[in-house]
Amino acid sequence: MEFQKYEIEPSFYDEMFHGDGSPRQHCVELHATLSDLTGLELSTMQERVTRSFYNEGITFIVYGNEAAGERIIPIDCVPRVLANAEWRHIETGLDQRLRALNLFLQDVYNEARIIADGVIPTDVIRDCPQYRIEMRGLSALHGAWVAVCGTDLVRTNDGFRVLEDNLRVPSGVSYMIATRKAVKANLRGVYRRSNVLDVEHYGKLLLSTLRDLAPPGVTDPTIALLTPGVYNSAFYEHMFLARELDAELVEGRDLIVNDGYVYMRTTSGLRRVDVIYRRVDDDFIDPLVFRPDSYLGVPGLLHAYRLGNVTLANAPGTGVADDKSVYAYVPDIIRYYLREEPILANVDTNLCRQPEGLEYTLDNLADLVVKEVGGSGGYGMLIGPHSTAEERQDYAKQIQANPKNYISQPVLDLSRAPCLIDDQFEPRHVDLRPFVLRGNETRIVPGGLCRIALKRGSLVVNSSQGGGAKDIWVLPD
Amino acid sequence: MLSNSANGIYWMARYMERASYMCRLLHIQSEALVDRPVSEIQFGWRRIYAAINRNPLGGVQAVGPLDDYNLVDAYLLTDELTFVRDNPESILSCLERGRENARQIRHCVSDQMWTALNTEFLRIRDVKLTDIWLASPSSFYEELLAAIDRFSGVATATMYRDEGWHFFRVGQFIERVQFGCSLLLTQKMIENQTGELAEASWRSLLKIFHASGAYDRTYSIEIQPDLVLDLLVTDRRIPESLLRSVDRTTQELSSLGDGPDTATSGALRRLAGRLGALLRYDWPDRDDRDEVLRQVLQYSRQLDNLLSKTYFNYAFQGVPRSDIR
Repeated sequence: MEFQKYEIEPSFYDEMFHGDGSPRQHCVELHATLSDLTGLELSTMQERVTRSFYNEGITFIVYGNEAAGERIIPIDCVPRVLANAEWRHIETGLDQRLRALNLFLQDVYNEARIIADGVIPTDVIRDCPQYRIEMRGLSALHGAWVAVCGTDLVRTNDGFRVLEDNLRVPSGVSYMIATRKAVKANLRGVYRRSNVLDVEHYGKLLLSTLRDLAPPGVTDPTIALLTPGVYNSAFYEHMFLARELDAELVEGRDLIVNDGYVYMRTTSGLRRVDVIYRRVDDDFIDPLVFRPDSYLGVPGLLHAYRLGNVTLANAPGTGVADDKSVYAYVPDIIRYYLREEPILANVDTNLCRQPEGLEYTLDNLADLVVKEVGGSGGYGMLIGPHSTAEERQDYAKQIQANPKNYISQPVLDLSRAPCLIDDQFEPRHVDLRPFVLRGNETRIVPGGLCRIALKRGSLVVNSSQGGGAKDIWVLPD
Repeated sequence: MLSNSANGIYWMARYMERASYMCRLLHIQSEALVDRPVSEIQFGWRRIYAAINRNPLGGVQAVGPLDDYNLVDAYLLTDELTFVRDNPESILSCLERGRENARQIRHCVSDQMWTALNTEFLRIRDVKLTDIWLASPSSFYEELLAAIDRFSGVATATMYRDEGWHFFRVGQFIERVQFGCSLLLTQKMIENQTGELAEASWRSLLKIFHASGAYDRTYSIEIQPDLVLDLLVTDRRIPESLLRSVDRTTQELSSLGDGPDTATSGALRRLAGRLGALLRYDWPDRDDRDEVLRQVLQYSRQLDNLLSKTYFNYAFQGVPRSDIR
């Protein structure tokens, strides 16, 4: 199917085409293949990809809309291709960023030199609800507070920028692998010819990372994945990863802390657990320390962690480093700890906690994206250009009532990639979430989850709000 | 294996087995509706509802003497037993609960098992009785039964033979003992209430146990109720006879470890042995066969309870040594 009707707008970087409509060098092979396929072949391929997700039950649940049941994430069968040089740039930048953020976490929960040296104001940390006082004085093995990170990147005409660091319990990696399996099965020829770099060994890398983090003296650690349970929106992913890791998938009720150690209830009795890859938020992980009404966690878990008898990945309290106020300081964090210039740029951010940031935000609400500092999933934000005057007025009141809770950023011209929409190629805005692992070294699979804003013109890529996903092909040198 | 996972596998197997029995019962009932006498149809409904210990929609009169009006009831009863989610024994409910358990322990079963179960559930989830009633309900149940059998076959062909497999088999066999025993007791109960039952009701019972052909080969095409019962209770050549299911349960239990508490574990194994002995040695000699069946049902429920106490929900006793690994 030809791309004649495909619209290229110079204000948006197009992932497949130059401004003159010719395919980018690294996309030539894929472009030719797609052009040779008929509309029927493409729609059949799309149907097969969707059907495979449906039959395999690769689903998620949208909170607040549980009645709608399990949904499959809409998968677009047209991959996004990245040249090797582009990927190397991203990879190096992600490694740099995660090393710095881990050093920041170690510091902020111990000596807090970065605050004493005036790089970050005290109140930014003090006011952050994700700062866990209970973690003061603790260290993480190999300094890996964050063992699993899912960084959101966007590309504009100026290059790649980090939109968000997800350092708590980032999800999406199972969709990355499932999408790869489904798409490569349908584009076999071009996939083979392109020598696309593999992502399906992610499970092995995660296992190596978690083994790195076993408590000292434990050579063959028992690893468990802690899930909130089958009603969690990402339960499919938890199950998928448990199988990849050959680890037990446990809920809080399966674990017991006794004598400072964590045990799981097995059919042959209690068995000690050494490393927990937890997919339960800090608030719910231990009712004795955090929320007392939590049934998802394990009483005494933090006690066992403090004693060094169990590793939690990620460590509690990592949310302080992906708070949106702290985000604004990440370039300074990199310079402070690594004495390097950031490889990946941030998005310009106005902190409403600062008088000039507040004033600028309120004066330019119609042109900005405003976010809650602790928000995620695309909830609770205002996209100025897409909002009504009334919505802006209401939002302005909220900001004025609690300025510390908000930041604003310019509306980004997110890059676009061709997607198969109603049997036609149409451009849609996309982002990129690579997954970075950190044990005693950094491990990254080449690629990630490419999220798509499926509605024409929309910039919201979150799957909970109607976003979709596509495969990312990183090509070899 | 994690206790919770073992529990999930066990219940997945039980729900799938229960769905299979319901499917067989409704298949026979849907065929009876075409040309069998009213009394036979009425008997069929009573047997189903008594076996699952539930009152039908609209009360017991709904399965009373049928006239043209009551064909409407047949529609409602079929719907209630097939698609109504509020009825925990309906086929859809059983499949849904089987699938819910499977979702939680997907990492413990083969991909093929999950796909077989998920695909079938999704296929019938949105089906309405109106879609099949005027065409061929009987074909619908045949296809569904074939899909449930396929799931069982796929499990046998693909499931890793670890502890999970043994819990899967224990679930299948315990459900067979309980559902099968309930059906036999129901048959006897209705016989006691109404007098001698029509030959067709015994023939359909044989079909539910997949034993109709075996009966003909073992005895003759003439039905003798006592022989039917003997075959279904004690003939180990019948895959779903009570004795075979109990023996297989015992065999699977012996493949499992002791569990953390050897006392409970011992009690579990002794009870399974007692159940086998009851069928093997008491059944042939006792006149009060209803009572034997009641005991079998009671023991099988205790077996389920002890299994749970031994492996799934055992009490946390004492302080474990920190070097337990």
